[in-house]
Amino acid sequence: MKKLLSVLLAAVMVATLLAGCDSDSNGGTSGGTTGGSTGGSDDPVAITEVVELRVLNYYDMSAAGALEEQSVIWEAFEAANPNIKIIREDEFEESFHDSVNAYAAAGALPDVMYAWPSGRSTTLHSQGLLKDLTPLINRDGLASKYIALATDPSQQIAGYQGIIPQGVTATNMFIANLEVLNAVGLTPATTYSEMVAQVPVLRDAGYDTVIMPNMASWVMQSCLYSLIVGRFMGDGWHERVLNGETNFTDPAFIASLAFVQQMYEDGVIPASSLAIDYGEGPGLFATNTGAYYIDGDWRVGAFLTDSTTGEALISPDRQDNFVIGVFPEIDLPGVAIPGRTNSAVLGTGWGINANLADGSPELEAAWTLVKWLVGLEVQTFRLRTGGISTPSIVGIDYGALPLEPLQVSLAGLGAKYDVATVVVDGAFASTVYEPLNEQLQALGLGITTPEAVAEIIQAAFEAWQATQ
Amino acid sequence: MHMTMKTQKKLSYALLVLPALVVYLAVVAFPTIFSVILSLTNYNGGLIFGNPDIEVVGFTSYRWMFTEPTRSFYTSLRNNLLIVGVSVFGQIPLGFILAYILNQKLIKRGRGFFQSMIFLPYVISPIIIGVLFNAMIINPRSLYWEVARFFNPDIQFTLHSNPMLPVLFVILWMFTGFYMIIFLAHMQRIDPAILEAARIDGANEPRVLRHIVLPAMTSEIVTCAILAISGSLKTFDLIYAMTNGGPAGQTRVLSLFMYLSAFSGAPNYPLANAISTVMVIISIILIVVVRWAAKLFDRHGGYGK
Repeated sequence: MKKLLSVLLAAVMVATLLAGCDSDSNGGTSGGTTGGSTGGSDDPVAITEVVELRVLNYYDMSAAGALEEQSVIWEAFEAANPNIKIIREDEFEESFHDSVNAYAAAGALPDVMYAWPSGRSTTLHSQGLLKDLTPLINRDGLASKYIALATDPSQQIAGYQGIIPQGVTATNMFIANLEVLNAVGLTPATTYSEMVAQVPVLRDAGYDTVIMPNMASWVMQSCLYSLIVGRFMGDGWHERVLNGETNFTDPAFIASLAFVQQMYEDGVIPASSLAIDYGEGPGLFATNTGAYYIDGDWRVGAFLTDSTTGEALISPDRQDNFVIGVFPEIDLPGVAIPGRTNSAVLGTGWGINANLADGSPELEAAWTLVKWLVGLEVQTFRLRTGGISTPSIVGIDYGALPLEPLQVSLAGLGAKYDVATVVVDGAFASTVYEPLNEQLQALGLGITTPEAVAEIIQAAFEAWQATQ
Repeated sequence: MHMTMKTQKKLSYALLVLPALVVYLAVVAFPTIFSVILSLTNYNGGLIFGNPDIEVVGFTSYRWMFTEPTRSFYTSLRNNLLIVGVSVFGQIPLGFILAYILNQKLIKRGRGFFQSMIFLPYVISPIIIGVLFNAMIINPRSLYWEVARFFNPDIQFTLHSNPMLPVLFVILWMFTGFYMIIFLAHMQRIDPAILEAARIDGANEPRVLRHIVLPAMTSEIVTCAILAISGSLKTFDLIYAMTNGGPAGQTRVLSLFMYLSAFSGAPNYPLANAISTVMVIISIILIVVVRWAAKLFDRHGGYGK
């Protein structure tokens, strides 16, 4: 009897297991991609029933308008569109990119997603995972409502309109802290040599010269090195590399890398910056631990007053002590354009999953949401809360906005440079810029040389070329 | 139909083993073999079955892994071997010594407290520990550096001289308690009469340890070594949270290299599969070496039971 029971028990276990395995067999998500399919039909589709949209949002909780975003953007949209229900996932920084890549690998991308026009979102564009929005833009006559760059498909990495950007981004924002500088009797440096001369004075007083959260490897490349390489190699340098007129072992490129190394050796950028997380930078700077801060223009929002709490990392009455500009003139031999340049790229924006069928209510709902997210109200909100500095939409009434002194200072950033060179991760494939990101950190650690880095990047570039 | 007792026994064993076998084949054997196959193709996302674009490209990914200019594979492998070293030659001896101290009641008071404190790090999530130590040691504005600066204002941040050191320290701290508990449990099973007899015969503490305790623990030491090696090669979460492999990839390990290859920037699944295949091979080699060493030691009259 016992033996019979044990046989029956084992049989039940096997049956249960197999049933468990089977129960999920119909639950999978279709993994097929249609590859950059063109969106839209001739006429808008009526959304007669409730449509659920999965949305992946890039949510910086440290930004001044973070909490307000819930009501101003998301709740307002759902109130105005009762037939569209949003299931939103908020992510920030690396976890956002991890989620996107995991979803892309699983063929389960959300319906609407935040994305870059290139850089970390290259896969979404180059593998056609985003809908081509040009037909929808044309259908609704939106082109005239945006600056020309925003609706120019050639500005995006795969040459089609994968996203509608919500602005143009200057990736170098150099803030001088007059509170710190005045405390030690200094004025903002206008050249690199002046900065170097300030290092011992600041160090003796217990300050870092530059606060730069370099732990994430993209920060140096995006927020400073792109500007540096542009100044050393001149405007349009990336095109000369891409068409073979020059390469990454060119002396000017090596000199740009040597300058990064020199900044670490001179103590202008401390090696300890390699251990500062991206989220920590604004807090360190606002508490007067350093004289200068380097980041992208999008980061100014972290310093502004949060309307829900009334608190700011740098309160408006202090903000006049913080001057926004671009990195000082590099007064070294061999520099093609010493100063007044910045690195700029189309800003981030919103795209739609290429799997949404043309003419479907789901696509219409997604397009309605995207139009809202890059529309006048939302861009005005982003501008007011420091989320963007140069909006992509035209018609914003700046005079009506209660801008804080730092925002006014940021608005003047464009006048402080004459030339905008490319951002490396917007001009080259990730197989080229990712080794560069890492090697820029290696220069900071002092474990490599500019020549060795140049060889590595050239090899990576040639390997990428071979795959094209 | 009548089944003999032998047949019934065989059938019930087979049925009892079957669920575990199915699970093993489904979640271990199949993915491993499939990963090896994918590492030899150009598959880079999207549909796997029925995709006409998938081609067998041979050892292209393996060649790239071993020859790519940033030498990420070698850095990752070096870091994994450092972790194996700290695990086998740090955690296990330290765990053994701590277990021996506790078992021999060399600490008179608070034995339970010390036991709990040593084991505690093991039950905390590695993600929490990673974030905690990032804030405590790695960050230049951390408590550690603030205290250090208080005593020596000129002290410079030194992560850049050897980024793996803080990681290895945390790994040593975190897992020693686990091995201590295993050793302690087995030490408590050694007959106290044998230990007492040895002491009456005049054996001092080192001789008791050398000739009675250690021989009785050989199989546990080998088991711990295998666990330490396989665990070391799988290390991911702690480093992901603590340093994310940085700076400049200097704290990257093979599992993180594999993850970043698959999910960071442009995905490179063939490379990620090639890395995982190499990890399996290294793991098997190291475990075979440990078992061989244990047998060799046994044969030469070592700690065999």
